[in-house]
This record gives sequence, structure tokens and C-alpha cells, in this order.
Amino acid sequence: MTASGQVATVYVPRDSAARSVGADEVADAVAAAGRPVRVVRNGSRGMLWLEPLVEVETPAGRIAYGPVAPEDVEGLVAAGMLDGAADHPLCLGPTEDIDWLRDQTRVTFTRVGVVDPLSAGDYVAHGGLSGLRRALSLSPEQVVAEVTESGLRGRGGAGFPAGIKWKTVLEAGAELKFVCCNADEGDSGTFADRMLMEGDPFTLIEGMTIAAWAVGASEGYIYVRSEYPDAIATLRAAIGTAYDQGWLGKRVLDSELSFDLFVRVGGGAYICGEETSMLESLEGKRGMVRAKPPIPALEGLFGKPTVVNNVLTLGSVPMILADGPAAYADLGVGRSRGTQVFQLGGNIARGGIVETAFGITLGDLVERYGGGTRSGRPVRAVQVGGPLGAYLPTSRFDLPMDYEAFAAADAMVGHGGVVVFDDTVDMAGQARFAMEFCAAESCGKCTPCRVGAVRGVEVIDRIVAGVDRKKNLKVLGDLCDLMTEGSLCAMGGLTPMPVKSALAHFPDDFGTTTEEGR
Amino acid sequence: MTTTHTPPHIRLANEISAQFQQRDPAAAAQEIAQHIRAFWDPRMRAKLIADAGAPGSGLDPLAVAAAALLPPATGG
Amino acid sequence: MSLIKEQDYGTPARPGEATVSVEIDGKTVLVPEGTSVMRAASEAGIDIPKLCATDSLEPFGSCRLCLVDIDGRKGSPASCTTPVTPGMKVRTQTPKLAELRRGVMELYISDHPLDCLTCPTNGDCELQDMAGVVGLREVRYGFDGENHLDLPTDSSNPYFDYDASKCIACSRCVRACDEVQGTFALTLEGRGFATKIAAGAGGSFMESDCVSCGACVQACPTATLQERSVVELGMPTRSVLTTCAYCGVGCSFKAELRGDEVVRMVPYKDGKANEGHSCVKGRFAFGYASHPDRQLKPMVRERITDPWREVEWAEAIEHVGRRMLEIQAHHGAGAIGGITSSRCTNEEVYAVQKMVRAAFGNNNVDTCARVCHSPTGYGLKQTYGTSAGTQDFKSVEKADVILVIGANPTDAHPVFASRIKRRLRQGAKLIVADPRRIDLVRSPHIEAQHHLRLMPGTNVALINAMAHVVVTEGLVDREFVAERCEDFEEWERFISGPEHSPEAVEEITGVPAAEVRAATRLYASASNATIMYGLGVTEHSQGSTMVMGMANLAMATGNIGREGVGVNPLRGQNNVQGSCDMGSFPHELPGYRHVSDDAVRGVFETLWGRTLQSEPGLRIPNMFDAAIDGSFRALFVQGEDIVQSDPNTKHVTAALSALDLVVVQDLFLNETSKYAHVFLPGTSFLEKDGTFTNAERRINRVRPVMAPKTGKHEWQIVCEIAQAMGYPMKYDNAAQIMDEIAITTPTFAGVSFAKLDQVGSVQWPCNDKAPEGTPIMHIDGFVRGRGRFVDTVYVPTQERSTRKFPLILTTGRILSQYNVGAQTRRTGNTAWHPEDLLEMHPHDAEVRGVRDGDTVSLTSRVGETSLRVKIDDRMPVGVVYTTFHHPVTGANVVTTEHSDWATNCPEYKVTAVEVALRNPAPAPAAPAMAE
Repeated sequence: MTASGQVATVYVPRDSAARSVGADEVADAVAAAGRPVRVVRNGSRGMLWLEPLVEVETPAGRIAYGPVAPEDVEGLVAAGMLDGAADHPLCLGPTEDIDWLRDQTRVTFTRVGVVDPLSAGDYVAHGGLSGLRRALSLSPEQVVAEVTESGLRGRGGAGFPAGIKWKTVLEAGAELKFVCCNADEGDSGTFADRMLMEGDPFTLIEGMTIAAWAVGASEGYIYVRSEYPDAIATLRAAIGTAYDQGWLGKRVLDSELSFDLFVRVGGGAYICGEETSMLESLEGKRGMVRAKPPIPALEGLFGKPTVVNNVLTLGSVPMILADGPAAYADLGVGRSRGTQVFQLGGNIARGGIVETAFGITLGDLVERYGGGTRSGRPVRAVQVGGPLGAYLPTSRFDLPMDYEAFAAADAMVGHGGVVVFDDTVDMAGQARFAMEFCAAESCGKCTPCRVGAVRGVEVIDRIVAGVDRKKNLKVLGDLCDLMTEGSLCAMGGLTPMPVKSALAHFPDDFGTTTEEGR
Repeated sequence: MTTTHTPPHIRLANEISAQFQQRDPAAAAQEIAQHIRAFWDPRMRAKLIADAGAPGSGLDPLAVAAAALLPPATGG
Repeated sequence: MSLIKEQDYGTPARPGEATVSVEIDGKTVLVPEGTSVMRAASEAGIDIPKLCATDSLEPFGSCRLCLVDIDGRKGSPASCTTPVTPGMKVRTQTPKLAELRRGVMELYISDHPLDCLTCPTNGDCELQDMAGVVGLREVRYGFDGENHLDLPTDSSNPYFDYDASKCIACSRCVRACDEVQGTFALTLEGRGFATKIAAGAGGSFMESDCVSCGACVQACPTATLQERSVVELGMPTRSVLTTCAYCGVGCSFKAELRGDEVVRMVPYKDGKANEGHSCVKGRFAFGYASHPDRQLKPMVRERITDPWREVEWAEAIEHVGRRMLEIQAHHGAGAIGGITSSRCTNEEVYAVQKMVRAAFGNNNVDTCARVCHSPTGYGLKQTYGTSAGTQDFKSVEKADVILVIGANPTDAHPVFASRIKRRLRQGAKLIVADPRRIDLVRSPHIEAQHHLRLMPGTNVALINAMAHVVVTEGLVDREFVAERCEDFEEWERFISGPEHSPEAVEEITGVPAAEVRAATRLYASASNATIMYGLGVTEHSQGSTMVMGMANLAMATGNIGREGVGVNPLRGQNNVQGSCDMGSFPHELPGYRHVSDDAVRGVFETLWGRTLQSEPGLRIPNMFDAAIDGSFRALFVQGEDIVQSDPNTKHVTAALSALDLVVVQDLFLNETSKYAHVFLPGTSFLEKDGTFTNAERRINRVRPVMAPKTGKHEWQIVCEIAQAMGYPMKYDNAAQIMDEIAITTPTFAGVSFAKLDQVGSVQWPCNDKAPEGTPIMHIDGFVRGRGRFVDTVYVPTQERSTRKFPLILTTGRILSQYNVGAQTRRTGNTAWHPEDLLEMHPHDAEVRGVRDGDTVSLTSRVGETSLRVKIDDRMPVGVVYTTFHHPVTGANVVTTEHSDWATNCPEYKVTAVEVALRNPAPAPAAPAMAE
């Protein structure tokens, strides 16, 4: 019994990032601390350097402690953690007051870390289903119109307006249509999809159900990478609950909508994050890129009209429907509306999830939120948008996080991953790695990507070794142009971006000059 | 039961007759005769006509009736 | 003539009117909607470089050579995967595009052997061509980078090699296997640079599901998949367009030659029957034509126990003529006869039947179609008025439901099977009626909605039950029946009888009534439903009844007279249709006209100058019976091994032994020639000049690639025998024979070699009313006026399983072999089927103590043979199956004298047998005992 005579509610994340640093042991230790407690395994708040982050429910709100090692628990309990006592070095005060979290605008991630991910009651109590209920009161056309008005763009990287894609599917005449969620989150330095699936799976389910209603689909698939066993288990459990609650299956929420949802597990190929490869894989085939046209919206899964959206895109839809498109569209800059869930990683002091409106500068993300490098050395380069994104020097920290501004700087926002490197990084090695990565992960279909990436590695090696440097720089430039212009999909098409940016911004690392590097 | 020892023309005539069992016997005989005239070599036809008259030939009654409608073989 | 190279438009044609206008390099071209920019350019005479695109395959977009510039589009889209849009402006040549294409080629060549001059495909390599086209002059990456040059070659297939070091990973072979052949045996393995072609699960081609159709070899743009004959002989220098001499599909081929030597057979894209596809037999198994076993000189002997004596043609022919006349003098004009071959040309067959009718002076001519499709002739003639299938092959592309009865197309008619499978993959539904679970029932991306697994011999009960459902469930197309048919009411009364209900016949057929009802509803309610059938229909004691039963069903549901419907016999041999058309039956003159018809006889009598017999002659089984009873004394056999192929071998050999003269005209000495007195060497299809008519009534040219190795065309030999018998019969060439056919036979009135050379092929009827031929019959009315419903009584066969012979044997064909195997056994095809096997269900094997590979005796009441067992649950319990490709097996030793009541077609498909263990298979090495 606590001093107040109540069973304390303690939150210990079940998120796999927290588990990887001992959250399970911490939870066990809390449960065995000698006092009756209710341990809730919530999602992560996204402050990964503080994991395992333990929160205790108090009349004054949730009080955070972290990072908590299992052996800290005894002391914490002794210090009154279960009553929210602040008298311990690990006490961080009220969770909501942690500035890192307080300064964010959490829309998509509003419930992540707050609720028990698998509690239907928690979900509804925290605003869940209001988007779906409202959507079902509207016509599919109206739902599509609202998504269009919200300005929501594909969060997977391409940034294609979701409303336009949905409209195409809605208007495609077919008896069978699909909604597919791309949860093959393969970009290095990205983990937001996983954290949403592990921390608030019902939001994704609700978003997909709204999409199904909007476009007239009756079946949905979530394609999750096999490296995410926790997300897979959480989604499967949540889907089971959703069926039990009448949120999925026949007559969803007593509406005319029938929607069945399935989880499919990928086989470890990066390319299956490319939507047409994902569809091939979902069909049971080798994950290989399809030529477009036909676009998946018209001929997608099994040749039927299909919405393919990323986890974050679909996960943003419930809020847009719940609060109306204007609330979402009011956030952001230019044509980049709403929020983006940025992921800070690499050599960074404070890594984790920063959901904020578009428009924040790169420097703000890396320095204000990230706190610079973990090594304490100066930042030298930041790669934004995954392994195919550009390497940017600190001189470009002024760039606002905005699709168009990044494109103008020969870079991309992508899936919002920000990976930081300190001044010990070898940028020629990074450029080589881009080609190596492409060579390893190419689906092997188109020539520029399949053969080009291998040759790219070899040419960079020659440049670095000083073999015919000038000639080989020309060869590399031509190869990059060919890959950009001639590849079938973004994999080969974007691989030159890190290479060229590294060469442009860090020519010394290649033993060359800025002029040659360009 | 027809066996290997049954002469081929009798076996075949019986098999044809079996196809017409549900028909009016006169019409059936007519059709069987027509079929035999159209498809059988005269020497087989002659044997059938010869056997149709003999008791114990094993011929189906319809085949016997059909044989009566067949013209005698001319060539061969 | 030089090598024929068909234009490759890069992507397939799209159906419909040309309505979209686009401008390519300043040229305006009008194409159907959905056409690719690449194809539109090709049609405008502009070739865009390409490697992964070819017009037999859907666009893929992998090579990136065909990039173009399109006004208003960013980047450089691939022209193969980009469909045209109205008003589109395309540029196919710009400096930037040239740069990109050179860049792509530079990458390709950086991982390709530089052995062009010694490469087997030198001069016929698209990679080489494209390197030239894009002007590749340098590979700046050098040749010491990562590469595939050391990958091994897979030579497991007897006909082609897979040299992985030359593979450019364009996937054309994989796609050809999927899209064209429909076998899905090939795949891409690995990722990125490690991507490579794999057969099956990564083993060799021979270990995989590959059926060696050659589609991958055909599709390969490099020397990666290469015919071994080209590797060994070099590139051919000229092509001759001709027609395959195997099954009734009648594929068009380019025989590619060096001098008179065939280097390879390449399927011809403009061939209407095959549209550029082939199977392992037509594509590769032509080596028998030059096999040393071929007998090239005539031979004569007095008695069949004497050794053969090679003689000159003159002596052989004089001998045959003299002996025939002598026998006729002693035993009467009707004592001799002839058998025509369904493997010979129309012209050769016509000559034989003319020799019999005019020179022999009787109607004792029959054809090997007697033992396969004679019930088709009878049944379709009775109901529709003509003895032929109703559709062209292309029609299947419009079928919504395909009912396959007693046919195994993937083995016996593989190229047409690929077309069926393609349609099924597009969504058409399939019903299979067959005792065996044939491959079509379930194969990659195909599954039959219903497999009606009936007991052998119960076809008529099944088709009657289906018709009963149509009539009693209100599924009759009343309008069609009223307008187009006759005798419906009587038939309706007959078929409505409760004895025909699916429930009533369930015990007979073994097919659950509900399944029959569901299948019938599917068939009857389809917009277009078509029936394909084979010898599983005809080779029964009720074969003719069954043909009429199917004809009834199609008429009752209005499935006749347009694309996508019909009743279609899949003919077994290349010219079954033609040999029947040419008057090979003893009761019919060419064009299926009865010998009793004075007017028709008059036409021939006037032209031939002889009086013709008006009574039918002997059919093959009658000939054997008459031989045994002594009234039939001499037989001329053209290209058919009746001892191996006809039922009840003991009976056949007894008949042949009783004859005074047996003349065999064939490529090889065979089982029948053991009983022959004269052997006249025949010609292979590579030497023949004439026509074959396939299962869709298509008359295709067979063109000689070399002069007859024997010195004489087969029709010349026949003419000379007739002359030796005192009948003047002479043609200067085969074309003259076709001209004679045309003037005597109304359905062939418009056919001539000149016409065929001009248009490729025509489907009869081809005459003034249909100058370009008739792809689909009975469109406005049936040939006989109204379609006639015929009551089809189910009379069970007298061949029943008994306590002594408890199993039913049924026989068939296998993909790699053909008929009696005289041809295919003399080719590399034996790699797949070195012997005939007895397939039996595990249960039947178990109760007899038989294991896979054991040698068993197979006994029926007429004979016994032995062969090895293959245990396979594709067989139903109680039914065993074998093929008759190998003489050593002698499958027909056990088949009986039962035959179709109307046509005497033998009942090959039902023989009561028993199987007993003879020699166990050698046991696998026993594991060492643990002490």
C-alpha cells in the first residue's frame, strides 16, 4: 500500500528501444519492489537517451525517472518513487514538463508513450476512434476531400499528396480494392514507424480503416519488416482486439463498412520499402520493383486499385479527421503541411522522436533537440532522409525542414531520419558506403542500379587511391547522372545523392578539390 | 455376354442396337439399318443378313429387325 | 532464301482500333490505346534501342536502353513501359539520351565476356547489336572489377546450354517461362549484382519443372541460353518456313539451315496456330529425320521370315503392282486395301486414297484416325453437319469457362495448353473431366474450379447428367435452340428423365452430384463456354455417343457459332484432320461425302476415268477380321505402326501374318514391318512438300528443306504403284495434287499452294463464300442447316473390372514422347522418358505389395506385358495408366477388341487388368547396422 493507500500505477515502456536497454528487467524489479503496483507497459515517449524511462502516476500527473537501470529500482522505491517523490538524481519531474517533450507538437504521436498500446479503453479515453466515427458520418468523397485539404503528404519519403492518391483509388472502378500500409521501415536512422506500431497500434488501424472507407477498400495489409518482432506481435494483438471491439471486420462500428486487416512480414529486403516491390512481396513474389505506369492506385496489389501509404501517413489520418483538416493544415510551411515525426540518431547526445511542424531548421533539430554529438566532438555532417539522403555540412543548418527547400538544396527530407556524424567521419567512406548499400540492396532489376552501384564502389576506390583521379571523377559523375536519370526506382535514382553531396561538400576526403568534386 | 469368341459383325450389330433400345422398335430398326448401310462393308453386311435368319445367332432382336431391312450386298 | 527475321515491336500489340495519335521524332503515328511508345515508334519505322523488351512479353522496363524524351514529362521515361497518350510528343534521339544509353551499355559490357568472335551467338546477339547501335567505344570501368565471368554453364538439358557468365539479367527467359509457356520454372535468384537466373529451386534445368519448350532460349537476347546445335554447328544461314510434324496443334516453324543441314527449328511468330511458341518436340526433337536408323532404300522379301533384300525403286514398285494384281486376280477386287497416315501430308494421303479407289477399284481405305478421332467425325457430322472442330485456337482467348474432357493438353497439345493457361490466368474458369488429376487441374497460378473425376468409361453418363441439369434447372438458351436447332423437344424429354440426374448417375460415374450440378451451372451460365476434348472422349465403346452428348450440351446452352465457345477436338497427330478431310474413310470421298452419293462419285469418276464403288469399304478392324477369315489378302500401310498402336496386338499380328502381301511405307523399320514383304522408305517432314491440316482446320504449308533422302516423294511412289497396276496416275508436283483437291472438293475450292504462300494459312471451308477461310464455323447456321439434338443413351462398356481383373487400365501420352515413339525415341527426348511406366494409386500399390520402381506384370484377358511402376496419387484408386511410346512395353498387348459402336474406334481407355509384382526394384543401399 502506498502512503496514500492506493496501488501505484507505474509506466515502464514496452518499446523495443527501451527493452534493448533493460526495460523488462526494470519492470520486473518494480513489480517485485515489495509494494503492490500496477505496471503499465506503455510505448516510449521518444526520449531514447532517457530509456528506460519510468513514469509514476500521481495526482499531479506523471512523474518521470530515467534512465533507470534495474539495480536503481530498489533505491528509487526507497526514495519514494512510487509516490512521485522528486528526491532522487534520476527524477526528471513531471513528464509533460520536460522541455524536449513540451516543445514538440505531437499529433501523430499524441498517444505514444501515454497509453497502454493494447488497451482499447485507454485508446478511446484518449480520443481514439473519434476520427473514424466522424469519417463514417461523411461520404467517402468528403473524407478524401478533407485529407486533401489537410495537405497531408506521403511520409514514406516521396511526399506525394495523400488525398490525390486516395481520390484516384476512390474513382477507380473495381469491386475489390486494398489499403496497404508500408511498414518496411528500412532507412538507417529511422524508427518512428516502429514506435507508433509498438506504442499506439490502434491509431494505425484506425487510419487504415478510414482509408478503406474513403476509397472503397475491403481488405488491408500491413507489411512489416521481419526485424520488428515486437511491432508485429503488438499489431497482431491490437488487430485481434479491434475485431473483438467491432472496429474491424463486418459492419465496422455498425456502419456499412466492412474491412479486414492482416499483418504480413517481410523477408529482410530494403527494396521492399519501395511500394511496388512491397506489393510484389505481398503477392508472394520476389521483391522486385515494377515499372510505373500502371500506378498502384489503379493496378496495385493483385492488380487491383490500392492505396499504399506509410505508417506515419496513415497514422496521421485519425487526427486529421477528428480535428478537421484545417487544424492540421495550419501547421507547417509552404507545401509541407502538418507535422513530421523526425528521428534523431547517429552520433547524437539526445536521440529520439521529435514531432513538430514542418519548418523547423535542421540546426534546431540537431543542436537544440539533439544537443550535438554524443562523442562531444563537433558535428561535421548530417545525413537526412535515410541512406539515400544527402550529407549536409553544418553550413546548411539553416535549412528549414521542408520538402521543397530540401529539394532545392539537392537533399531530401525523406522519412525524417536525421543521422549525425562528428568530425572523425570519412566522407569518401560514406560515399562509398552509399554505393555499397545500393549494391547490396538493389532488387537487381534495372541495369544502372544493379551494375552501376558495384562499379560506383570500384570507381570511388580508385579515386581515393589516386588512380586516374580526374578521369575517374568524370566516370563517377557520369555514373551518378546515369543512375539518377536512368534507374527504374528511387533506390538507384537517389543513391547518387549521398555520393554527390559528400563529394560536393567534403571534396578533401576524396583527395580532390571542391572544383573537381563538383 | 459378348466375348472374344463372338463374331465381330454380331458384336458390333449388338452394340449398335444397344444405342437404340429406348426408341420405338420400328424406328430403331430403320436407323440401325441406315447406319449399317452407310458404314459397313458389304461382306460384313452379308454375314449379318445371313446370321439374322439363323436361330441362336446371339443377335439382338433390333439387329435382326434391321438386317431384314438391308438390301443384299452387291459388290465387295 | 536468307534467314527470316520477324520484326520485333518490343511490346505486344494492344487490341482495338488505332485511335491515339502521337508524334515520334516528328512522325505521326496512330495506334490503339494502351500501346507503348516503343511499339508506336516501331510501327512508325523508328527503332528505339532495347534489350529487355520483346513483343512476345509484357514490358518490364529493366534494361533502361529505351529511355526517351517526352514533352511535358520530367526525366527520361522508358518507352517500353510508357503507354502513348493523345498528342504526346516523343523524341527518341537526343545527345542526353545517347549519353544515357552508352552509359547503360558500358555497364553491361563491364560484366560480359569479350569473346564475341568465338561466341556461338556471334551475329545473332542483341547485346552485340545494341553495343553497335549506341556507339559504345570504351568501357571506362575496365574489366578487372567484380563480375560473373566465372559462373559455370548448366548443360543438363539435352538441347540447350545455360551459360550464366553471359547473362545480362534481363529476365526475358523468366518472363517467357511465365507468360508464354506458363510453367513458372525459372526465377531470379539473389539480389542486386548477385541476381541470376535459377531453374526451379536453384538446381539444374533438368532437375527443375522446366518442360524444355524453348521459350526461354527463344527469348534470350544473348548466348546465355543457346541451342547446343548452334554451338556445335554455327549460325544458320537460311530459313524455310514449314509446319511441325508432331501433334495436331500444327505449329509454324522456321527451319534454320546451313546448306541442307537443319541447325535449329525456331517457332514462327506469324504462325497462327502457335504465335511464336513451341514445345520440346517441335522445337528440338527433329534429329530423328537424320537418324542412322532411317532406311533409305526400298526392300523386298518373299516371306516375312526371309532376310530383307535392298532393291532399286523400279523393282520394288513393279513387285508391289504385280503382287497386288495377282492377289486381286485370285481373291477378288476387294481383297486388297490401304491405310493412310495422319502423319503424312494432305497430298500424300489424297494420293493413297485415290490409288485405292481408282487403281485398286474398291473403297478399302482407312486411316489411323480410325483409332483416334473417328467418333469425332461421326458425332459432329450427325449433330452439326461437318466432321471438324468449330473454333480456331485464338477463340480460347474469349472463353470465360473452359471445359476440358478427356484431354491432357499440357502433355499432348502443349503449345495450345499454354494458350489455355494464359486465358485461365486472366481469370477464365476451368472444369476438368478426367479420371486422372492431370496437370491442368492444379499447376502454378491455375486451379480448376471443378475436377470431375469420373470412372473411365462413364463419359456419357456424366455428359447426360450435365445436360439434365441444364434442361431441368432452366439453363437452356431457348432462343438459340428455337432459332438454330431441331429435334430439341424429343431430346429434352429424353434427357429430363430422372435416370439422367446427377444423383442417379453418381454411383456410375463416381462424381458427386453436387459437383456435377455446380460445374454445369458454371458452364451454362458463362457468357462464353467452350469444350476441348481429346481421345479420352473418343476411344471408348461409346465414343461417338459422347461426341454427340457434348454437341448437345453446347447447343442447348447456345455455345456455338461465335468466338470463345464451341466443341473442339484436340487432334492427336499432325494431320488427323487432313487425312480425314482427304477421303481416307472407307465410306467417304474427300470432303466427307458419302460414297453412295452419285453426284459426288460422278465428279471423281469423270476426273479419274474409273468407275468407283458406291458401297463402303473395310475399316481397319474389319480388315484385320477379314484377313483372318481369308477374304482380305494384301495391305498397303502408309506411315503407321499398326502393330504397336492398334489394340490387341495378338489379333493384329495374327491378321498381318495371314496376309499374302504387306507393304509398309515408313521412315524406320518398325513392329509392323516385321510382318511386311515390301518396305518402301518414306520421307520426313523436312523432305515433304505439301500441307498439313491442324485441329482448327488450318491448312499449313509443309515446305521441303532438302530433297527426299530416299530419292522419291511419297506421293510419287503411290502414283508409280498405281501405274504399275495399270492405272495412269501422275503429277508433276504436290501443288498439282492440291489443285485437284480444290476442284473436286467444295470446302477446299479456294485452296492452292500459291494462296497459302501468299496468306500463310487458311482454315477450311475456303471457297468463294469464304475466300480467306473460316476461323469459326456455324456462325449463321449449322453446316447441316439446323443443329440436331441426338438422344445419347448411356450404354456401359462390356469391359468391366472383375475379381480376376479388378483394375481399369487407361492409356495416354506424355509430353516428351509422341505416339509409338518412332520419332521421339530417336532424339534427346528419351532423357525425359526412357521407358513407359505404369502409374498407380498408392493404395492399389500397397495392397499388391508394389513399391515405386518395381517391375510388375500387367495382365488383361487378352494379353500380358511387364513394366515398372510409378506410384502417384494423381491416379484414382482402381485405375492404372500407362503410355504406349515404347515397343518393348507393348501396352497394346493388353488392350481389347472393344470399340466404338458407330465407328469401330478402339476402346483404348478402358481395359480391365490386374497388376502383380514381378521384380522388386533394387533396394536402396541398406544403412549400416549399429552394433
